[in-house]
Amino acid sequence: MLLEVRGLGKQFGGLNAVKDVDLDVAEGEITAIIGPNGAGKSTFFNLLSGFYRPTSGSVVFKGQDITAKKPYRTVREGIARTFQTTHLFEDSTVLDNVLSGRIVRSRSTVFGAVLQTPGFRREERLNLDKAREALEFTGIADFADELAGEVPQEVQKRVALAIALATEPELLLLDEPAGGITEEETTRFGELIRRTAARGITVCLVEHKMSMIMSLADRILVLDHGQTIAFGTPDEIKRDPKVIEAYLGADDEEED
Amino acid sequence: MTLFIQQLFNGLALGGVYCLAAIGLTLVFGVLRIPNLAHGSLYMLGAYMTYFFLTAIGVPYIAAIGMAAIVLAIVGVLLERVVFHPLRNSPHTHHMIAAVGAMFFFQALAQVIWGADFRRMDSPFSESVSIAGAQISWQRIIIIVTAVIVLSLLAWFIKRSIHGQTIEAVEQDRTGASLAGISPNTVSMLTFALAAALATIAAGLVAPINLLSPTMGAALDLKIFAIIILGGLGSIPGAIAGGFLLAMAEVMTSTYVSSAVGEAIAFVVLVLVLAIRPTGLFAKAVQR
Repeated sequence: MLLEVRGLGKQFGGLNAVKDVDLDVAEGEITAIIGPNGAGKSTFFNLLSGFYRPTSGSVVFKGQDITAKKPYRTVREGIARTFQTTHLFEDSTVLDNVLSGRIVRSRSTVFGAVLQTPGFRREERLNLDKAREALEFTGIADFADELAGEVPQEVQKRVALAIALATEPELLLLDEPAGGITEEETTRFGELIRRTAARGITVCLVEHKMSMIMSLADRILVLDHGQTIAFGTPDEIKRDPKVIEAYLGADDEEED
Repeated sequence: MTLFIQQLFNGLALGGVYCLAAIGLTLVFGVLRIPNLAHGSLYMLGAYMTYFFLTAIGVPYIAAIGMAAIVLAIVGVLLERVVFHPLRNSPHTHHMIAAVGAMFFFQALAQVIWGADFRRMDSPFSESVSIAGAQISWQRIIIIVTAVIVLSLLAWFIKRSIHGQTIEAVEQDRTGASLAGISPNTVSMLTFALAAALATIAAGLVAPINLLSPTMGAALDLKIFAIIILGGLGSIPGAIAGGFLLAMAEVMTSTYVSSAVGEAIAFVVLVLVLAIRPTGLFAKAVQR
């Protein structure tokens, strides 16, 4: 298993935002985490990527305990994530944004930069190649020289994904990648996620758009009130009475 | 005309000193959102450390500045670790109170070690050179040249080196930087080290012209706050432009109007900027 989560919990005061959640993610799979609003999906993601400290349980990634490691550490270990609201460097170009994801994989020192050593220049070229490749892959190469704050929202979502890919992750956590974008773009983004997984990058995503989830996910974890109510393939989840009661029943109101 | 050229060089030299001191302040504000009121105290300690290396140890002038800059970089990191880091999740007023506390601490420390009276540091470059009829001291030329070299190196460091780029990344979006695997803690320490080292270079350069005293930083604090507000908080080009503008205004009004007006000009500029363009000349988008 690439990721093993055991008994993960987070209390805010007396409230259990996430309680006793187990999850196994196998390499190369797409796992979706769904649940009604306030079910603890984002909190769960924040626990995995180190933005919150769990109050109980453990997270093991590649056989190594990474519970409560800081976000910039988990990135180094190979877990990249995106936020529902993108956190881009808006005053910099799209290319520079993606290059920022290369910093964590760079070894160069100030001296290398001052002396322009061959190793430094090789690394600089490699970083540029990797960043351009990420731009190509996410389909935003045409926006490379524009300021990240000035490109359309769909492009910004793709920039966030390109930054995450530039860090060379093994596990990619996507928090509502299709939030606030059109139906058509949602389909295209779903296709992009599928191609990402096809490159051997394991994907976990939180998403509201059921059509996208059902066609994309290998496995689905359903949370309600911070607890697991179901885990299985899309077909199993569709038939699960608890899920229908907790989530799908409420779905019609929510989509509007 | 001779007087004007004389004052032009004085203004450039003063501007160089203001820039070096103000950039550190604006960097710290950009990265940590802290108005570091203790920045002038770092400048003051930098001047005394240069004085110490020059007179007590007896190293050459430029080397003394370099060694003082290294010592102050360590002091800057300690200031971040011991004072500001533990307060990172507190309301903003706590940072300001802590900064004032640090300022008094550094002043008292200097007073205990070196005494409250003024000290003079002799310039190793006492000669002067004649340019278009005006007598310009070598010390002022050294200040201008050093300031230009240090500012170019700094600009290059921030734009081109990976460590410099992490500073810019954290300035623009702290969470985004974390997502890219950049440690905000390391960047905070690096920023404080850089800010303190730059202030020390400024202090070491100007010390042979001015006198040393434990309160010399307080006067500078007011000026450099005016400069970074004029230039736009967190903006490096703003700090450079603001530094030279204010220095020129100060020197020229002192010469052609009166020295009292020269001393007050910083505040006239400050009031005008706040009234007309409160975001400064080079406004940066404020972090969400």
